[in-house]
Amino acid sequence: MQGKPVVPLTLAGVAALVLVAITLVSVWSLAHPQRDPVGNALAAMGARLDGVRSWYAQGPVEASPDWQAMRLNVPGGDAARGRLAMVEYGCGACHVIPGVASARGTVGPSLDGLARRAYIAGVLTNAPGDLTRWLMNPPLFSPETAMPNLGVTEADAADMAAYLYTLGPDA
Amino acid sequence: MNGPSTLDTYGSQTSFSSAGTGADATLVLTTAMSVAAAVIFLLVMGAVWLAWRRDRPGSVWWIWGGGVILPVIALGTLVVASTFTLAAIGRVDDGAPVIEVTGHQYWWDIVHDPEGRALRDANEIVLPLNIPVTLSLKTEDVIHSFWVPSIAGKMDMVPGRINRMTVTATEAGRFRGQCAEFCGLSHPLMAFEVVVLPQAEYDAYLEDLRSEARDADTAQLARGRDVFLNEGCIACHAIRGVAEGARLGPDLSRIGARATLGAGMWRMNVGNLAGWIADVQDMKPGAQMPSYNHLSGPDLRAVAHYLASLK
Ligand SMILES: [Cu+2]
Repeated sequence: MQGKPVVPLTLAGVAALVLVAITLVSVWSLAHPQRDPVGNALAAMGARLDGVRSWYAQGPVEASPDWQAMRLNVPGGDAARGRLAMVEYGCGACHVIPGVASARGTVGPSLDGLARRAYIAGVLTNAPGDLTRWLMNPPLFSPETAMPNLGVTEADAADMAAYLYTLGPDA
Repeated sequence: MNGPSTLDTYGSQTSFSSAGTGADATLVLTTAMSVAAAVIFLLVMGAVWLAWRRDRPGSVWWIWGGGVILPVIALGTLVVASTFTLAAIGRVDDGAPVIEVTGHQYWWDIVHDPEGRALRDANEIVLPLNIPVTLSLKTEDVIHSFWVPSIAGKMDMVPGRINRMTVTATEAGRFRGQCAEFCGLSHPLMAFEVVVLPQAEYDAYLEDLRSEARDADTAQLARGRDVFLNEGCIACHAIRGVAEGARLGPDLSRIGARATLGAGMWRMNVGNLAGWIADVQDMKPGAQMPSYNHLSGPDLRAVAHYLASLK
């Protein structure tokens, strides 16, 4: 069955409609410069792109947080006090500890570069909380260890952990 | 132990503040000699300046005066002063109680009242305040020298001799002494501490030396005592009430009460004790004690805790 064709959608027709629409929007935009939906949309998109571009321009190293420093941060730990506490508890009788007076013992491992180790005494992960708890009571985590419970207080342990994490994180 | 604040409990080792009669005499002589030397130096510099200013030779009496008469007077005065000082330092009071100190490589054996009860201790000499005490100084091996700069003058410990000096400590507190005669590899690690106590506390200390050492009252301390008994420690060390008689090494009956370990060298605590037992030869090269690095970890911990508990 053959009906009368409604307005035939030819290519020329579509082009004409687009041209008319562009013309109308342009005229409307020129008439109301403050209410420019296209321009505003483009400007907003440009600003977003600027943010991304400057983030890349700054570079990933400078702009991202220092994960290594954050990982080794001991809450409440004072490295300077920890260095003195290590002398008082006698850590140096068994360990080499750079920067601690007469700490050149060879009974246990050297603590130089401790910040780069993966495990503490092979039983705990090398993280601030674990290191603090290890210092407070080693035999609790490693029953056969030769390292005694030195009666270290939690505050002293945090100080000592803070000092130990200054040993070799960037070497 | 309370952390770093305990640092100030170490005894001081200085002859510039005196806490005993012998150190007093030495300090006076040191001051007098230093002042005299300064005056003479200034006089000589003045004479040089005068000689440089004048263009003609001076009187020959300058040479007689400055080169002969003045030195004779100065040296004569010093000889007299130091003779009196030496006499003061070396004075022996026969009525005073005696403490016998014997030098060993590299530690000090101490016997209070050697003629009577023979109360033994080591590396920490407790003296009564303001009471003359005669130190009877001996050596078991080579020459050592006994010196507590704040309390008394220096006196050698010579093999085959007993040197005696009477000292009076005039200030309560803790003072550091040092072996002052080279005696071997670990001579620089041969120190000790002197603790001056008021009479009542001193008597309590002597009473403490008569009684048995503290009991091992936990499972771990009992294990430590067994390690001490079974691993050969008792061949050299005595602990009253546990194993007595051995005298080759320091008496350990109250080792945990001493402030220092290894003859005045390290803070007394479990950490240093464990490190010391496991590796003496590293901490004090040439010491008679062997490194006990064959103990299992728990045994080492137990014996370190046991020794630290003996107070
Ligand atoms: Cu010596």
